[in-house]
Amino acid sequence: MAAPRTYRTEALSLRKMPLGEADILLTLYTRDDGKLRAVAKGARKTTSKLVGHFEPLTLNRLALSKGRNLDIVTQAQVIDNFSTLKSSLTGLTQGLYIAELLDGFGSEANPNPELYQLSLEALRAVERDLASEMPLRFFELHLLRVSGFMPELYHCVECRRTLEPGQHRFSPDGGGTLCLECQPPEFQPPGASVRNLSLSTLKVLRMLHRTPLPEIPDLKMGQPVALELKSVLGATVRYWLDKEIRSNSFLEHLQHLPDSPVYF
Amino acid sequence: MTLDNIPSAAPSLARLIQELNRLPGIGPKSAQRLAYHIIRLPDQEAYDLAEAIGTVKQKIVFCQECQNLTDSSPCSICTNPQRHQDQICVVEDPLDVLALERTHCYLGLYHVLHGVISPMNGIGPDQLKLKELFSRLSSGQVKELIIATNPTLEGEATAMYISRQLTPTDLTLTHLARGLPVGGSLEYSDELTLSRAFQGRQQV
Repeated sequence: MAAPRTYRTEALSLRKMPLGEADILLTLYTRDDGKLRAVAKGARKTTSKLVGHFEPLTLNRLALSKGRNLDIVTQAQVIDNFSTLKSSLTGLTQGLYIAELLDGFGSEANPNPELYQLSLEALRAVERDLASEMPLRFFELHLLRVSGFMPELYHCVECRRTLEPGQHRFSPDGGGTLCLECQPPEFQPPGASVRNLSLSTLKVLRMLHRTPLPEIPDLKMGQPVALELKSVLGATVRYWLDKEIRSNSFLEHLQHLPDSPVYF
Repeated sequence: MTLDNIPSAAPSLARLIQELNRLPGIGPKSAQRLAYHIIRLPDQEAYDLAEAIGTVKQKIVFCQECQNLTDSSPCSICTNPQRHQDQICVVEDPLDVLALERTHCYLGLYHVLHGVISPMNGIGPDQLKLKELFSRLSSGQVKELIIATNPTLEGEATAMYISRQLTPTDLTLTHLARGLPVGGSLEYSDELTLSRAFQGRQQV
């Protein structure tokens, strides 16, 4: 029996691009098929039944039909459009940061339901606390884990000895934490991005690794620990992604803006 | 498409096909059809087309006030004394000015941003004509700023960024209504559009 030409799935919209006169080329992350590029025919017309369903960061229940090159979206029903997240500029940019990483790490025809679930959990956590960056750090660490790039946090990646409490070093390209005997603080191998890792930051990383996202306590971290955590995870994500994360620069720009009221 | 990919065409024709192929929405087949159409045109029409392209590249500049494309700066809208000088409508690109002008219901001035903030594509506030907008607003002449960016995620992000940059003053900040399009259908509308339509309902 021939394979059915139509199928249904749940998908998070990541990007959209105009295609032809009135179509949209979508990049979606689906529960069942991983990353998927599909076409929404006529969806740029204001009277299209599909209009408004495919803004980035919208979760839809979709019906698609198999196309010769790209699949065609035939029906869409919004499950969650993350409207709380989109009501704040910082929240929206954090959401786009998650979408950009999901687009970068997700691969086509390679389902990863754990990554799909992680992304939705992270977006919902951003909605719960728009001021906190902890959901982004959680997402970065677990994105690395579910993609098979989890950095080592318990043993030295060189000598394999269990790490003792104290100051350590961290190598994004070396695969994780290094003890000071293998990588003394003053030693910087040429071309490597080895950096210092304080005990507090290592403890936060381990806590993020072990604790489910909704149970993560509201941590009061000092600025140096928060910055070190961001730097360690950001460098590791950039290393595996092999490119800059574009939305990060706007996210950092927003942190320097005054918090003046939003008029609408 | 390179010249080597068009082996059977004469070099001058192959070059025309290659140039047309660079235009947005024009694929290799369309480029060939357009090139053969241009060959069949009367000489004068083909020269007019070439001259129009040359002239537009020489003459078109940004209006010093609204940043719209014009061949004389300031443009005819900014210098028109009949237009309300205390209203500015912020749009994404010059085509939006044409669309709004067709409605004949707005008589203020415009400001063209030439894009929207798109963090995922690396487009930030510095790549848009936002500095020019804030400099126009600092004169204190403007009483209402109407944000008419598209109701997309990037359009909304740009609107929120502008509102966050402005401190509460005498300036009234508004944006175009969101909701159902004329000829649309409630049944097929997404929940965000419907909820915005409810929020913006009006007394009949």
